[in-house]
Amino acid sequence: MKVNKHKPHVLLLPEDDDNRQLANGFCLSLPESTNIKILPLADGWMEVFDVFESREISGMRAYSERFMVLLIDFDNHLDRIDYAKRKIPHDLENRVFILGSLIEPKDLKRAGLGTLEEIGSSLAKDCREGTDTVWGHDLLRHNATELERLRAYVRPILFV
Amino acid sequence: MRFEIEVELDSKIYGYSIAFELPEGFKELRILGEKLEVDGKPVYAREVAQVHLSREGQVKEANFLIDWHLVALPIIQEKSAKDPLSILKQWLARMLILQPIPSLIDGISEQETLQPNRQLLDLGAWFTGLLVNTPSAYTKIDTYLKQVMPDLEDIQNPETGTDSRSLFVRFSNEQGKMRLPFKDLSDGEKSFVICALVLAANSIYGPLFCFWDEPDSFLSLEEVGHFIMTLRRAFQSGGQFVATSHNSEAIRSFSDENTLVLYRKSRLEPTIVRLLEEFQIDGELIGTLIRGDLDL
Repeated sequence: MKVNKHKPHVLLLPEDDDNRQLANGFCLSLPESTNIKILPLADGWMEVFDVFESREISGMRAYSERFMVLLIDFDNHLDRIDYAKRKIPHDLENRVFILGSLIEPKDLKRAGLGTLEEIGSSLAKDCREGTDTVWGHDLLRHNATELERLRAYVRPILFV
Repeated sequence: MRFEIEVELDSKIYGYSIAFELPEGFKELRILGEKLEVDGKPVYAREVAQVHLSREGQVKEANFLIDWHLVALPIIQEKSAKDPLSILKQWLARMLILQPIPSLIDGISEQETLQPNRQLLDLGAWFTGLLVNTPSAYTKIDTYLKQVMPDLEDIQNPETGTDSRSLFVRFSNEQGKMRLPFKDLSDGEKSFVICALVLAANSIYGPLFCFWDEPDSFLSLEEVGHFIMTLRRAFQSGGQFVATSHNSEAIRSFSDENTLVLYRKSRLEPTIVRLLEEFQIDGELIGTLIRGDLDL
């Protein structure tokens, strides 16, 4: 299955293996996965932005229907979002979203929210139903602003 | 050697186990024990040659002997289609154990089946069987295939003789039309058709257990993730899908709690099986696998 690059599609760039597993769960809860892909791991939160700058910006400019979700760990540094925003070119900022757990995804598991896949599925369910059951958790609620943007732009693509 | 299987069918837990032994002086394995239970209640139990059938309703319990080289499950006669023996046997018979060889699949059939063979050389018969069993299966097959092959028009299965049929696939777009015998599809396209039949089968006469040996073998890298995710998603609502793979994209489509690592040091040592989540992996999984640093 080739993603049709001329139709709206979403690429997920995870920082690490735990974020990839969250993304797996998210994808499993979509009605279909013809318009979403999980990219290889960046292996570090700063590397997410390095990879984005070096490999993804040109593709995003070439394909105006491409949306990018960068999945990072905040490691208790919510100011990373400011660093991240500086790395996103002005012309792409409406199509790039930065999400992540307050410390790291394993904390969500320790908090009893399920396996990483299950948590990812619950996050997708929240997106689909417009709820905040999991997104409203202490370890995730800092994503509210990005999530609101994501819902506006990406929900119509993934939950048709 | 002991094998156990536990499966939920019609909200009941079926538990079947069988153990083999090779006593001294024997040339062949013999059955040491065998048991079938439904929701914890025994249907039958067997110790070596002695079989004990449990009482069920008006049917009295019974004891009889059986050759200790023969498995009792296929021999004990079921009383009706609702008999637990019948339900379990049908479920076992319809397990999909797949190791397809696409280049050898020609789409020609002389019969119909819901129990395709491992290499899927009888894919045409399976396609026919699915549609004879449930004609609406075609909609499920068509829906998936049109996602992955947007220029697919339809699949035809006309009679080509008194007892034979042959699959043809039609494609069309603004540039024209094409009708191909199934055998002329690429190996990847045939894999998509197999996937479509698996999805339809699980939906129609599932829940099924599907084991697919390296389903990614004939797919391009950009197709693998979607292919695996589609199968995983379809089996979430019933049935179980198990795949083996050496493909990094396929491996990444699973997670720590549902990935088993199989490793054998040499032919003379047993295969070790461990859940991925039991490993402490420092860094990225695929890199760790490539370096061979997953210490068992």
